Amino acid sequence: MDAASRPAVVIDNGTGYTKMGFAGNVEPCFIIPTVVAVNESFLNQSRSTSKGNWIAQHSAGVMADLDFFIGEEALSRSRSSSTYNLSYPIHHGQVENWDAMERFWQQCIFNYMRCDPEDHYFLLTESPLTAPENREYTGEIMFETFNVPGLYIAVQPVLALAAGYTTSKCEMTGVVVDVGDGGTHVVPVVDGYVIGSGIKSVPIGGKDVTHFIQQLLKERGEHIPPEDSFEVARKAKEMYCYTCSDIVKEYNKHDKEPAKYIKQWTGIKPKTGAPYSCDIGYERFLGPEVFFHPEIYSSEYTTPLPVVIDKCIQSSPIDTRRALYKNIVLSGGSTMFKDFHRRLQRDIKKIVDARILASDARLGGEAKSQPVEVNVVSHPIQRFAVWFGGSVLASTSEFYAACHTKAEYEEHGASICRTNPVFKGMY
Amino acid sequence: MILLQSPSRFILQILQNRVRNLDKGIDLDCHSVEFDDVRYHIQVSMKSPQSIVLSMALPAPPPEAIFYAGLPFGAIEAIKAAFGAIVQILDPPKDGYNLTMKINLGKLPSDEEQKQALLIKIASVREVVLGAPLRVVLKHLSSKTVASDADGPIALVHRPKESFFLVPQAEKVTVVFPMRFQDSVDIVLATSFLREFVEARRAPGLNNAPPCVWSPSPPPELKGVPPHALTANAGFVKFVIFPRHVEGRKLDRTVWSLSTFHAYVSYHVKCSEAFMHTRMRRRVESLIQALDRAKPESEKSKLLQGKSFKRLSVKDKLSNSNS
Ligand SMILES: Nc1ncnc2c1ncn2[C@@H]1O[C@H](COP(=O)(O)OP(=O)(O)O)[C@@H](O)[C@H]1O
Ligand SMILES: [Mg+2]
Repeated sequence: MDAASRPAVVIDNGTGYTKMGFAGNVEPCFIIPTVVAVNESFLNQSRSTSKGNWIAQHSAGVMADLDFFIGEEALSRSRSSSTYNLSYPIHHGQVENWDAMERFWQQCIFNYMRCDPEDHYFLLTESPLTAPENREYTGEIMFETFNVPGLYIAVQPVLALAAGYTTSKCEMTGVVVDVGDGGTHVVPVVDGYVIGSGIKSVPIGGKDVTHFIQQLLKERGEHIPPEDSFEVARKAKEMYCYTCSDIVKEYNKHDKEPAKYIKQWTGIKPKTGAPYSCDIGYERFLGPEVFFHPEIYSSEYTTPLPVVIDKCIQSSPIDTRRALYKNIVLSGGSTMFKDFHRRLQRDIKKIVDARILASDARLGGEAKSQPVEVNVVSHPIQRFAVWFGGSVLASTSEFYAACHTKAEYEEHGASICRTNPVFKGMY
Repeated sequence: MILLQSPSRFILQILQNRVRNLDKGIDLDCHSVEFDDVRYHIQVSMKSPQSIVLSMALPAPPPEAIFYAGLPFGAIEAIKAAFGAIVQILDPPKDGYNLTMKINLGKLPSDEEQKQALLIKIASVREVVLGAPLRVVLKHLSSKTVASDADGPIALVHRPKESFFLVPQAEKVTVVFPMRFQDSVDIVLATSFLREFVEARRAPGLNNAPPCVWSPSPPPELKGVPPHALTANAGFVKFVIFPRHVEGRKLDRTVWSLSTFHAYVSYHVKCSEAFMHTRMRRRVESLIQALDRAKPESEKSKLLQGKSFKRLSVKDKLSNSNS
């Protein structure tokens, strides 16, 4: 059987979470934290015990290279034993530790997906700010270590746009608002190409929301075991947080009917095994508010997300702006808060309308501007829109032609990985 | 850690998810492909949230390995024995698959431990089905008998269009794997890995492990096997399995290890490649650091200011190093 007749493997390596699965599926097979736990005790032992015994050192090195875990398993190993050190290979969307990344991929492929990398084409993703050298590294590892027959490296926001593909015609012009774990990117895309100069980054992501909630719970004096508090905050966030339309009104609602708005969290203390519980109250709406009023969380960064999106569109070519306002697409886990898209749409519309009003006033009522349509698109697969877009694209027949193949790699070298063509399947 | 586990994570995760949300109906239709072209298709429908339809496709058998009604010898009996009443085999299987079974989650045992054990067993369906004929032969070994109709080596499929061979005798079973790899680097690495593997078997602690031999040409046990099945570019590995290797609970482990031996070697080859790349990257890094330290001070500061594009002439260099 030819590799092109098997489904492609689609892996979206995010800063916080990796989404992996087979093309053609609606959901990734696995979503796991992007983290590796390595046992470095072998190395230390051999260093301290022997001076010149390089064989012992060598085999200690080999053991250290084999003894590692990824994802949830890595987290639980490091919690239960101090011999494992955690390493997060991706920072702010960029691979920083290639050794850890290679190990991570190795386990994803062999232990999670359980597939033979020689049997499948691969679609990987990268942030729009990735340097071409990094793509070469990725290509080198995929072709040389794993012998993949073909590789396509796609830009994350472009895939998020392509996720809308299933609904009749695919619109490949739009602004992608990707709110992941480590940060937020606002990326203008026109006809499938990213406008690099227009990309705006916001240093606030899902992890910050979790930190903020953790801090609020602590300040309110809820009794949560400290070693558990980040996980509790994260789970409470994912289950109970929502976006409100007005903070003051929301405080009043909570105060009037606490029974309706306050949620209970129950857990078990990891050390003693005793049960405990705590209230999740104002945190429910204050968490997501971090994106709309960043000053409540950070004194350094204070621009609200709707303003950033508006600036991004205003800095794009003038003939694309209307189309961009019309297709603002959400992607990433931290856009999952209830009513997030409504609030975003309302706030952006306010900014746009105010600008039109001001310019009409300047012109003295002689010419009236056309109203601008603002549309924030939300769909159920938003949490892994990038992966889903990859799954859809990699199941079109054009995908295999757009991939770089192992033969091309061997002929021309890693530099071919610097770019991948935008292909017809994207329209 | 480096051994492949028998249960498929993918299937197990879906099973456990369904069991946790039995009352919540969902529509699910997803597929997955494992090493050696074993494919799974899982369907759950809104209408009957208690049941899961699991289809499995096996690697296409070469002419010398025989399937009975699309399945390896003894597979149906093995499925019935392993899963009992919770699984119903649908006949004919879904188009393009060798086996389709309906799993009734409502019939799971209520005891939590037994329930988990059964879910893990279902997720190990690959071992149950593909390992069935091997299990039959090894069971005979543990009772020290030979299946009557055994005549010449038995071919069992383990990879698309590839088989490995069993030579059953009353007191031992000889297992032979022709090893084939696609990539030229893989062939070299696999060959040296296999030689080391055989060497390592001689270590004092491993006296009880099955004896194992690597040879570049087919071992004599394979007399009578058609020549097309005996082409191998990484040699042949022969294991001799004795009754002590298939006693009681050891049987399952031996069946799984033998039927995925090729994948195990292939996984090791990839790990070694990753390992060598890591070493190479570290070497390059330390070389660059050494070069960096060796640079004259003035040049370092130039680099930091981003003026490295201007080529220094020989005269510049001389004056630099003199000052
Ligand atoms: N239902 C949810 N509601 C709110 N936040 C969520 C939800 N699901 C996941 N998240 C958060 O989304 C973040 C992960 O998003 P993801 O897009 O996978 O990040 P990345 O691609 O940067 O790794 C985490 O901070 C996680 O807590
Ligand atoms: Mg992401």
